[in-house]
Amino acid sequence: MESASVTHAEHHGPPPAHRSSRVEPPVLGMVLFIISEIMIFGAFFTAYFFIRVVTHDPWPAPGTKIPEAATGINTAILLVSSLTIHWALVSIKRGNRFGLKAGMVLTFLLGLTFLFLQVNEYVHLGWAPRDSAQATIFYSLTGLHGAHVFVGLCALLMVTIRSFRGHYSPEHHQGMEVPGIYWHFVDGMWIVVYTALYVL
Amino acid sequence: MATTVAEHTTAVTTPARGRSRVPLPAKLRRGGWYRAALFDVLGLGFAVGITALLRFVNHQHPVIDGHAITTVALFSVPVFFLLGLGAFDYWLYWASGRPTRPETHEDHGAHSWRDYFRVNPDHKVIGIQYTVTSFFFLFVGGMLAMLIRAQLAKPGMNFLTPEEFNGVFSVHASLLIFVFVIPVFAGLANFVLPLMIGAPDMAFPRLNALSYWLLPIGGLMMLASFLAPGGSFATGWTAYAPLSTDMPIGQLFFSIGVQFAGFSSIFTALNFLVTIITMRAPGMSFFRLPLLVWANFATSLLVVIATPFIASSQFFILLDSALHFNFFNAFVGPHTNGNVLMYQHIFWFYSHPAVYIMMLPGFGIISEVIAVNARKPIFGYRMMAFSLIAIVVLGFTVWAHHMFVSGMQPWIRIPMMVTTAIISVPTGIKIFSWLATLWRGVLHMSTQMLFALGFITMFTLGGISGVMLAMVPFDIHVSQTYFIVAHIHYVLFGGSLFTIFAGVYHWFPKMTGRMLDERLGRLHFWSTFIFFNLTFGPMHYIGLLGMPRRVYSYSAQFAGWNLFISICSFFLGLTFLIFLWNIVASWRHGPRAAGNPWRALSLEWQVSSPPPIFNFETIPTVVGGPYEYGVPGAVHGVFKPPAEARRPSAVAVARE
Amino acid sequence: MILAAAVGTAILLAIVLSINWFPTHASTQINRTSTLYDVLLIASVPIFVIVETVVVFCVWRFRMRPGEELKDGPPIHGNTRLEVVWTVIPALLMFGLAGYAYTVLRANEANKSGAMTVQVTTRQFAFEFTYPHQDGKTVISPILYLPKGKPVVFKIRSYDVVHSFFVPNFAEKIDAVPGITTTLRVTPNRIGTYPAECTELCGPGHSFMRAAVQVMTPSAFQAWLSRQPNNGPPPIGAPPSGVSAASSKGPAKTSKPTAAAGKAVFTSAAGCSTCHTLAAAGATGTIGPNLDQRLRSDCAKPASKRIRGPTLEQCIHAAITRPYAYIPSGFHAGIMPADFAKRLTSAQIAALVKFLSSAAK
Ligand code: HEA
Ligand code: HEA
Ligand code: HEC
Ligand code: CUA
Ligand SMILES: [Cu+2]
Repeated sequence: MESASVTHAEHHGPPPAHRSSRVEPPVLGMVLFIISEIMIFGAFFTAYFFIRVVTHDPWPAPGTKIPEAATGINTAILLVSSLTIHWALVSIKRGNRFGLKAGMVLTFLLGLTFLFLQVNEYVHLGWAPRDSAQATIFYSLTGLHGAHVFVGLCALLMVTIRSFRGHYSPEHHQGMEVPGIYWHFVDGMWIVVYTALYVL
Repeated sequence: MATTVAEHTTAVTTPARGRSRVPLPAKLRRGGWYRAALFDVLGLGFAVGITALLRFVNHQHPVIDGHAITTVALFSVPVFFLLGLGAFDYWLYWASGRPTRPETHEDHGAHSWRDYFRVNPDHKVIGIQYTVTSFFFLFVGGMLAMLIRAQLAKPGMNFLTPEEFNGVFSVHASLLIFVFVIPVFAGLANFVLPLMIGAPDMAFPRLNALSYWLLPIGGLMMLASFLAPGGSFATGWTAYAPLSTDMPIGQLFFSIGVQFAGFSSIFTALNFLVTIITMRAPGMSFFRLPLLVWANFATSLLVVIATPFIASSQFFILLDSALHFNFFNAFVGPHTNGNVLMYQHIFWFYSHPAVYIMMLPGFGIISEVIAVNARKPIFGYRMMAFSLIAIVVLGFTVWAHHMFVSGMQPWIRIPMMVTTAIISVPTGIKIFSWLATLWRGVLHMSTQMLFALGFITMFTLGGISGVMLAMVPFDIHVSQTYFIVAHIHYVLFGGSLFTIFAGVYHWFPKMTGRMLDERLGRLHFWSTFIFFNLTFGPMHYIGLLGMPRRVYSYSAQFAGWNLFISICSFFLGLTFLIFLWNIVASWRHGPRAAGNPWRALSLEWQVSSPPPIFNFETIPTVVGGPYEYGVPGAVHGVFKPPAEARRPSAVAVARE
Repeated sequence: MILAAAVGTAILLAIVLSINWFPTHASTQINRTSTLYDVLLIASVPIFVIVETVVVFCVWRFRMRPGEELKDGPPIHGNTRLEVVWTVIPALLMFGLAGYAYTVLRANEANKSGAMTVQVTTRQFAFEFTYPHQDGKTVISPILYLPKGKPVVFKIRSYDVVHSFFVPNFAEKIDAVPGITTTLRVTPNRIGTYPAECTELCGPGHSFMRAAVQVMTPSAFQAWLSRQPNNGPPPIGAPPSGVSAASSKGPAKTSKPTAAAGKAVFTSAAGCSTCHTLAAAGATGTIGPNLDQRLRSDCAKPASKRIRGPTLEQCIHAAITRPYAYIPSGFHAGIMPADFAKRLTSAQIAALVKFLSSAAK
């Protein structure tokens, strides 16, 4: 939060806290939150493990097909968005406002495309979660990830708006760096989800 | 720096203090109870609207469906309520790039009781909010236990119906676990932990406020399940699938209530971790932290890693019951079945660590109380810290000891038996170190010390019965019997609750600025100690004889003991009145407390009682360990900048 | 102090070892388990007594005397040797106990030659015991009969939610999990009647989910077995679709609804006798209303007439197919299984109605 840097000399406030670690608190907070998120995915992967491995049933359920190629393109889209948001971060660090704005807009649009394609896939799969346990865990894992993409997109939208309003500077860009960490996590998690559900 | 300037030049008018004479529309616009009430209605409307819309789109009839609306409303109404109360205001302003209110610290601290009923970012206010709220749920949960005991007073009793009975013990356990023991520790730590490490507040004060407000929502939701058609959730606090996926609407109140309680504890844990890592006073190295801080550090790790598992398990239940997913449906068709045991694995992967979430902060409290009241340094400080971490690590490797009779792969039982038994080693290190701390001390037998010693006694008993349970063939006999109920209460009541009492008696002067009545305290301890043992001791025996738990009625063979237990439990309930009276009377009229009534060294005692609004005028510098009792001239912290604070040479000599 | 601890240990051990903690031993398994328990007591009583002695001794010896208000104890920070001792000794003890428990577990679950297989099927809120291929037939019973001395392997399954099969006198239990078959091994070694209980919360009727276990001499067991008909209809009805049932033979071919057929359904097919008392069927269950005493009068009550229909037959039919529509005084909804309409064929229900209306006094 940039606001922390501004002092309000005119009124009485708490003494500034001693900084006992080099890590920025928001970054550390986000990292810990991501650990929690990973564990949520961990629980869903446990369910996946039990349904797919422990029960010995075929994967996918008899009579269903999983479109790994089409979603492969989608995966590439999400991966590129990780690069673009990184580009945005590097740009603002160098003071390049155009790079920041362009990077954010690109990232947002790529994320939106991913979400759109994912919903499109749901519509055309032809089977529903209640058809089988395999379908249940397929929809649950991709759905959970989709929900994270959605939350990430909300955060990206905020960052994009703020970057157009002239916020962020080479010194103060935590407000976009922290959502960026989250976005990288969302992307990384997709690789795992994609590998487990589509490839293997 | 254009941005920051933009953020701070346009100051929104500072919110006026006081309540009356604000026109209603303004009240509705400003965060607070009026807007919260308005938003509740909006949340309900949202639930009705969105479910009707979705059902319409999916060609489902009827379009208005009570079950679906309740499911969505249980999520949306609380979130809208929080929006209305103002828990998110600052973030929404900030995130949208609109000017935020400058940090006037106007909203800091509590000036009247009303300030406890708003979104307050002050960790001391939050600590008291947390503690009082969770004690409210202790009393409610305890009263439910009285209903359990009334029903079980004699076999064939018809005091409750079977559904009601199942509902009562499920809500009893859920309230006491999720909205009493876990949060009350977070509450006590919220108050003292920033003080102890020399920080002016927590790292994320507004997140802290949000954590608190999620708690009463979770608790009241569980309680409100009694009003649901079909009764409250009645599947135990464990909510095993597939029973819980096929239950009346009350089950939703558990599955969703747990989400709120769970997020509350995740956010608090995250906050504690960041606070401990980044906001320690100068000189406060990790091995100078009071053990309470260590204990909360360890607990927070457990919470951050484990709690998502119970959130997920309850999501699975929700999906199964609301949308007919097949996580736990074993009868879908050939080669397409769900897996029932998966629920238990996921549930216990959280809920075993959860029992340490319910115990480690208590260990921290006991370390503080014993060191101060025995006037000696904690024996083996480093081992005390390491054993906490060892318990955290081992705690993740034992979950299946709750599943010895569940029909899982038999070989898993063996490694789980060994790891479970090994957990007694780090726990033993703590017990023995406390004993060694007592040795040759000068024991002040204050009420908190009595509770600490009572804790050592009772927890050793409960822990030993736990170690017995780790032995698979023995567990096969007593699993799901009253022996387990006895173990639960020896570790949770004799363990956690005793430490909570010790903590309350210890920090009450600091939190309220008033002293408690020692005579009533002693009466409270002894009556609780005696009736606790009389109530829960015999349960070991009837459990071994084969009385199953969670039963509405039982065979005549157990009638005598159950009557005895019920009578004793009513007296046990009455002992809580002594405590309640002591708290209420002392809070209002007790003698004023000095800053440091126990002559303790840790930092929270070096400021006034209650502490000043921003904790410290200047951040103290830590120059020595927190437990240097008996070391001549020892100090833990001094209120000087690091450059001026030099360690008195006497301390250096004595410690090295 | 050491003396006090030793004496305390001796006294407490003498007391706890003289108590009969376990129910009547009726299997070879419970003998081993209760020995394990004794060993656990012998290991843990000293630990407990040591902790207590130190606490009490410290309170007695080191409590603050008047005048010591400002005194502090000696600043002892630790003692590495002591800390190693109290880490290593409990660790060794734990490995020892776990090793011993493992041998007990191995012995309790060892495969015995010549074991008899009994299938236990569970459903809200009843047990059903199936003896496959005994004397060339498959026998199904709501009561568990076992010959003394013969190893038994239970194969346990569930039709709905998680249940558990527990016989305290055998010191053995295991859950019945929908979707999988679990295994339990017991060698009964004492003649008598014991309770079997469901110990996993399975709904409102959980505490009523009980069955009797009768351990008898091998010859008495054979006699009972030979009296039983082959392939009686499963006492608790057909499994839900999707259960790949090894034992279910589908609903029995019922003939026309006669009172005799109804009696057969009552005593075996539906497990009514686990809950109801009815002299004509030799049933003595106490969970549900005593049908001898009150079926007729209950059905004559105005409220019952309004809800369950005016005639006795209509009343009984409604009581079986829609059990909670009218609740007889003193009882609760949720106990009597509500799905008999689905589980029993209409012919079976008709037979039941016929039988009950003639049997009810
Ligand atoms: C505060 C909560 C708490 C704590 C701290 C513990 C601590 C322990 N618990 Fe407990 N447990 C519960 C709460 C807790 N438990 C609950 C709520 C349930 C039931 C859940 C349900 O089904 O509803 C349960 C159930 C439970 C079971 C499952 C029983 C069953 O359902 O079949 C088992 C089995 O192994 C077990 C074991 C242990 C062990 C080994 C410890 C150890 O951590 C104890 C270690 C402590 C000591 C051993 C004492 C001090 C040590 C010494 C003095 C050193 C020397 C001692 C020796 C060498 C023995 N517990
Ligand atoms: C911290 C946890 C905690 C605490 C403090 C308690 C406290 C008590 N518990 Fe609870 N209990 C659990 C956690 C806890 N329990 C858990 C986890 C289970 C397992 C549930 C499951 O199977 O799912 C359980 C289950 C459980 C059972 C078994 C139910 C069953 O399996 O069928 C019983 C039965 O006796 C019981 C009794 C009691 C009693 C008498 C108290 C007493 O100590 C309560 C005393 C408190 C009060 C009475 C309230 C305060 C007093 C007043 C406001 C004054 C007024 C009082 C009077 C007028 C009497 N509990
Ligand atoms: C698990 C226990 C249980 C089983 C099995 C059971 N019942 Fe019941 N029964 C009850 C209970 C409890 C009641 C009273 C509450 C109610 O009506 O639901 C009852 C009520 C009845 C009544 C109404 C009695 C009256 O006085 O009005 C009849 C008739 C009846 N049962 C017949 C049967 C028959 C026939 C079967 C077997 C097909 C059966 N029951 C199986 C528990 C059971
Ligand atoms: Cu079946 Cu409990
Ligand atoms: Cu556990």
